[in-house]
Amino acid sequence: MAKALRVRFQPPLAVTLLILGFFVFIPMVSAFEYSIRTPLTGGYGWTHYLWAIREEEFFHYIFRSGWLAGLTVLITLIVLVPTMTWLHVSKSPIRPLIDGISLLPLVIPVVAFAVGAQISFPEFVQNTVLELPFLYFVLALPYAYRSLDIGLNSIPLKTITEAARSAGANWWRTITAVIVPVIRGSVMATIALTFALSLGEYTLTVLLHWDTFPTWVTFVAQDNILGAIAISMMSLIIPFLILTVITLFVPERSMQGRK
Amino acid sequence: MTSQVIEGGAPSRGRAFLASFIKNILPAVPLLLIVGFFFLFPIARLIYVSFLSNENTFTIDNFKTAVQEPYRTGFLNSIKIGVFSAAIAAFPGAIAAYFIESRGSSKLRRTIAVMSGVLANTGGVPLAFMFYAALGIQGFLTKFLKYLGWDLYAGTFSLGSFIGLLVVYLYFQLPLMVIVFSPAIVSLRREWSEAARNLGASQFNYWIRIGIPLLFPSFIASFLLLFASGFSAYATANALTVGNLPLTPLQIGGLLDGNVSAAQLNLGKALGVVMIVISACAVIPYLAIQRRSAKWQKR
Repeated sequence: MAKALRVRFQPPLAVTLLILGFFVFIPMVSAFEYSIRTPLTGGYGWTHYLWAIREEEFFHYIFRSGWLAGLTVLITLIVLVPTMTWLHVSKSPIRPLIDGISLLPLVIPVVAFAVGAQISFPEFVQNTVLELPFLYFVLALPYAYRSLDIGLNSIPLKTITEAARSAGANWWRTITAVIVPVIRGSVMATIALTFALSLGEYTLTVLLHWDTFPTWVTFVAQDNILGAIAISMMSLIIPFLILTVITLFVPERSMQGRK
Repeated sequence: MTSQVIEGGAPSRGRAFLASFIKNILPAVPLLLIVGFFFLFPIARLIYVSFLSNENTFTIDNFKTAVQEPYRTGFLNSIKIGVFSAAIAAFPGAIAAYFIESRGSSKLRRTIAVMSGVLANTGGVPLAFMFYAALGIQGFLTKFLKYLGWDLYAGTFSLGSFIGLLVVYLYFQLPLMVIVFSPAIVSLRREWSEAARNLGASQFNYWIRIGIPLLFPSFIASFLLLFASGFSAYATANALTVGNLPLTPLQIGGLLDGNVSAAQLNLGKALGVVMIVISACAVIPYLAIQRRSAKWQKR
């Protein structure tokens, strides 16, 4: 769109945003109102929020979900970035195969995947919570793969790698010091996406009988529904705000890497 | 960096193979190992076990039971909620994507992309509790609607009913539509509409003959993906229903947890395989259409 059009007021856009805004925020605000009710006094207050953050388990599970998600991001970056760089640079005959495999998790419903996971892994895998980051990695793979693919396609990768290599950089240095900074938009999008997906993952986690933040919330709901609602509000609004602020302040053009 | 394999005589064939392996496959081995062990292996095993009887002999009885009641209703309900939630979300989502992508500033587009991402992904449990608070019997929205003269709970409505769940699903389906459909809008080139106008086409003509035919495949593809997402959603349904609405993901969850027992130990696996087949019927065409349109969408 031409620049002049951008600044001008756009009635159809304004109406769209208004409707979307109502659609998104009315349930959210309405739920927020519910979450600050104090049934005992009949007024409003932060009772349930305070209750939640005073629970010892609150931070325990936030911390646990946090490091699991962090580990998932780490696996994604360490495995995916070098492999995909290599796939793009070399003309490997197995590229179509890997393209296909990386999209496959989209086809498999998570519930079915959970059943498969439960009956397949040897005991030493099932007994450690470290299986989760690898499974989250699989769930996020189609999105991470596409996001990095867009980034790698948008740069003259071959020229860049050859330049770095002939300047004496080894592969590791080429990737960490040259390629990752060049496609940082895609890398950031991949990180955000993988992190968010791992943090919110519920189905697989609960069916494999692990406890993380999202499963703890359903547990809390059994005897303190208002507390659970307060926690849910926090877990929806906080990432919402953080990510919005990040996108508005990080001047990056290739953030739209999803799906 | 060519992929030529060094030509050699018979003695060095082994070495040539090794060289080709190192060049063509070795760097992908870590990824293939992780995906193979943590994904392909469980899926293969799921399919294999779904054909085993309690005595570990081959049988298709698990599948026979899987298509009978109550699992039949489960599948019908899951398909229904997938189709309805996708159908209701697709059109408004597409229109919203169009206005946002074609008229919005880049900051607005990025903000919407991120917010949609959060809504479409974070979803699940927090979403269920949010709607419980908003549209439950004591919810603010319920009271507000009642004030306007619409008593939600006058009939049989509850959040755990089909209609209730449908409303909640729309909350992640609509953002998902915006995300999935936006790339198609971005790739509509302005030159095409200008060219059409120069050749004397009206706005209407442009849309009927060029815009809609170009966007249609992506629209169908997006619809299919939305269907798959609604069809296999578990978390929200699990939190909101109390066993009153049979849905396949919940039935599988029940069997897996041992909350529900079945005569056939491997029934849950068969249900999972049927789910994969149904989901594949939607997602594979989605991927195929995407691939095809990606060709002309490249600038």
